[in-house]
Amino acid sequence: MSRFFQYLFDGLSSGAIYSLLALCLVVVYRGTGYLNFAQGEMSMFCTFLVWKLNDWGMPLWLAAISGMLIGYLGGATVETTLIRPVAKRSQFAVFVVAIGLFLGLNSLAGAIWGAPPQETMPSLFPNEPDDFQRIFGASWRYQSIGILIVGLVVTGLLFALFNKTRFGLAMRAVASNADSARLVGVNTGRVLAASWGLAAAIGALAGTMVAGTTGEVVPGLMFSYFVYASAAATLGGFDSLGGAVIAGLTIGVVENMAAGYAPKWIGQEMRLGVALLIILGVLLIKPTGLFGEQKVSRV
Amino acid sequence: MALVTIKRNSPQHIAVRVLGVLLVVIAVLWVPTKMTTGNIDSMTNALALVIAASALNLVIGYTGLISIGHSAFFGIGSYATGVLVSKYGWGHGWSMIFGALLAFVFGFIVALPALRIKGIYLALVTLAVAVLFPTMMKWPKLEWLTNGARGISGIRYEELPSLPFLGELKGRDDRTVFFYWYAIMLVIITVLVCRGIVKSRMGRALIAIRDNEIGAEVMGVNLATTKTLVFGVSAALTSLAGSLSVARTGVVTADGANLTLIGSIVFLVVMVVGGAATITGPIIGALVYVWVDNYTRTASASGEGLIGWLFDWSAVSPASIILSVALIVLMFVAPDGVFGLVRRLARRVVVIK
Amino acid sequence: MSEILRTHDLRAGYGLIEVLHGVNINVDAGEIVVVLGANGAGKTTMMRAISGMIPRTGVVDFLADDIAHLSAHKVTARGIAHVPQGRGTFPELTVEENLRIGAHSRRDSFAADIDYWYGVFPRLQERRLQRAGSLSGGEQQMLAIARALMSRPKLLLCDEPSLGLAPLVTRELFEVLQRLNSETGLSVLLVEQNANLALEIASRVYLLETGEIVSSGTPDEYMNNDAVRKSYLGH
Ligand SMILES: Nc1ncnc2c1ncn2[C@@H]1O[C@H](COP(=O)(O)OP(=O)(O)O)[C@@H](O)[C@H]1O
Ligand SMILES: [Mg+2]
Repeated sequence: MSRFFQYLFDGLSSGAIYSLLALCLVVVYRGTGYLNFAQGEMSMFCTFLVWKLNDWGMPLWLAAISGMLIGYLGGATVETTLIRPVAKRSQFAVFVVAIGLFLGLNSLAGAIWGAPPQETMPSLFPNEPDDFQRIFGASWRYQSIGILIVGLVVTGLLFALFNKTRFGLAMRAVASNADSARLVGVNTGRVLAASWGLAAAIGALAGTMVAGTTGEVVPGLMFSYFVYASAAATLGGFDSLGGAVIAGLTIGVVENMAAGYAPKWIGQEMRLGVALLIILGVLLIKPTGLFGEQKVSRV
Repeated sequence: MALVTIKRNSPQHIAVRVLGVLLVVIAVLWVPTKMTTGNIDSMTNALALVIAASALNLVIGYTGLISIGHSAFFGIGSYATGVLVSKYGWGHGWSMIFGALLAFVFGFIVALPALRIKGIYLALVTLAVAVLFPTMMKWPKLEWLTNGARGISGIRYEELPSLPFLGELKGRDDRTVFFYWYAIMLVIITVLVCRGIVKSRMGRALIAIRDNEIGAEVMGVNLATTKTLVFGVSAALTSLAGSLSVARTGVVTADGANLTLIGSIVFLVVMVVGGAATITGPIIGALVYVWVDNYTRTASASGEGLIGWLFDWSAVSPASIILSVALIVLMFVAPDGVFGLVRRLARRVVVIK
Repeated sequence: MSEILRTHDLRAGYGLIEVLHGVNINVDAGEIVVVLGANGAGKTTMMRAISGMIPRTGVVDFLADDIAHLSAHKVTARGIAHVPQGRGTFPELTVEENLRIGAHSRRDSFAADIDYWYGVFPRLQERRLQRAGSLSGGEQQMLAIARALMSRPKLLLCDEPSLGLAPLVTRELFEVLQRLNSETGLSVLLVEQNANLALEIASRVYLLETGEIVSSGTPDEYMNNDAVRKSYLGH
């Protein structure tokens, strides 16, 4: 039983990060209808900045907040200057620009911080060997508890933003019908920029927590997390915030259980295979995901 | 208005085309006879990219399906050749054919969701494939086959065949020349296959799919089958590039340059920079890519020239940075790539009616 | 009578194709101006050009200010509300959220306005927590109009509200428009293809054909004009 709880808890903790990144994808998707393929690299780049600020002597929590702010500005700028102008032309153009960003940020990080840069990253939470609590026979590390709490708090804030504020209502209106949103006086450009900014800021936080668990920042930091997040967004239905969160947590738990109970076959190496199977399965069986509207256009 | 107007199929038009073919033939012959061994090797590398980017172009440029998983198909070819040649004593040619078949099957499976969803979402599946492939090759369960993270090395042609005109091939220089011709042969195969598909009834249907799905259905084309088949063919062609690279370098590792997600992105960059949805585009893209790569590598290492000065601070070659900036800039100024740009400029001078 | 809206040489189109070839119309305070035109004449394009949804050239004077260079959300803030063809509600939002977003351009409190519109359209109140996408066509049109008026505009642009509605529902809707017009002095620019009911509430009428205004006059003149009767009144 204690094994079960261990896998469950570890799964929830990694799932919290998948959820956060999936939320980023969903926020951008709802606003613009695009999948931001550069989301992971944007997070990674911000994480490097957080690390650098911390390296210069700024307390990590302050560095993380600064990183989020920089991320917000960066994301909003990218949307206004790079994405929106080509979005008029085609979705493929947006995809190519996102790929350009992906490659650009990835190689820029490598160029600035050395290749392969292996910078040690401290954790936002207590992370000494004995920083854990035993519950149900499983060890609940403070680090993992912290990630879970941050994940839930951010999700809660995001829900409040979308459902309780004027700006959130405007964001939902743009997602629902962009033309009508303009007609009721919503500055859609600002909403789209804010969506990207918000996604980038949350991504920066997620990246900082990922680097805290692995203890290092590398350009490939977010590759696999981005795959997990896309799996979560796919499973959740791409336009559903709640769906993304539940799907992210589910995927975290499922892959941890799978890796834990089948260490020989799946183990740490093939956890990613679980995510791939989920994406393939969902897209084949129910392309709108579990919670989505009929938005993912079908052939 | 254009300065010169030429009628289609007039003697002038034919002369221009013959001249074009002649220039290409001269360029192809010039490389192995006049270039240094290192440069010939670079050209072979470029040719491998031509194959992969043309294959990707078949999928993205013509059907509108998006793949960033082609590095995995490149990897399938690489590993097929690596494993079969070094462990089972197969010949290179057979291992290449086997790899292509395997890649075809995998490509077909990966494209299955395309039966139900549109372009960009298929990209998610391919993304997962690209990230998963290197992981799988390092999977302990497959270590008996793939040697895990160490990879496979020492995969060489034991003896090079003697070729007509070229004679007996010996030593490093001859080896390089041999692989150059080997690559040229594969590029010709790839271009012929791509041309064949694009000009066929299926190809015209493909373009219809890209431009207007409903239209294609009216034409009586089975969208789903067409798309998945084309994806399979594209995967198979990409695996040829993988086999070629392994034959050239003699090693394959799971984290090798073109086998990871970054590899997929490189193919995409080559395709878009050259010009999507054209046969010539990927060829130009690959030449540009390899040239930029080599040039920036030497320039940043020596610190010479504008590039060396600009990227003085850079710990690694800034090639990828420059290419990604170029990619984004191109999407603004010339979404049809370098080839498209050149073609548009050329039409200001000469118009073929 | 003071003038609310005047367009001069208004031109707009899609890409390289010009659809409106210099339209001149005006709306005075308190008027219901109806623009008649066949399918494809450019009525929707004209409305979109006025409200800034598409690029346009020429002059659009609203309350004596040229707004032809403003983007749509700024035009709304000036006091023009546009109910687009096909209603343009937000299907994923609830009825009440649709009304709330309607007041997006306002900074003051609008709770009383929501209650007011529930009074005008009691059926909306019954469905206030339902998603707008689940409403019937008539209810959606009511919602669209109420949402547009939540911004307390000085001019309402209404694009074929009768489209897809039963005649009875259309009549009910037009009665509401007329009542709002007479009670609050709301100016309305109404575009219709199906003219019978529209002419009943119109103060003045324009006829739009292939992107140009070809005539104007009183509703009576149009009802008695044989050619117009044939084309737009169906009898
Ligand atoms: N989004 C669009 N893109 C291109 N052409 C359009 C678009 N919308 C309308 N048109 C064209 O503009 C002309 C006028 O259309 P519209 O203004 O919708 O007419 P109406 O509302 O009077 O029926 C038509 O010929 C139509 O084909
Ligand atoms: Mg219309």
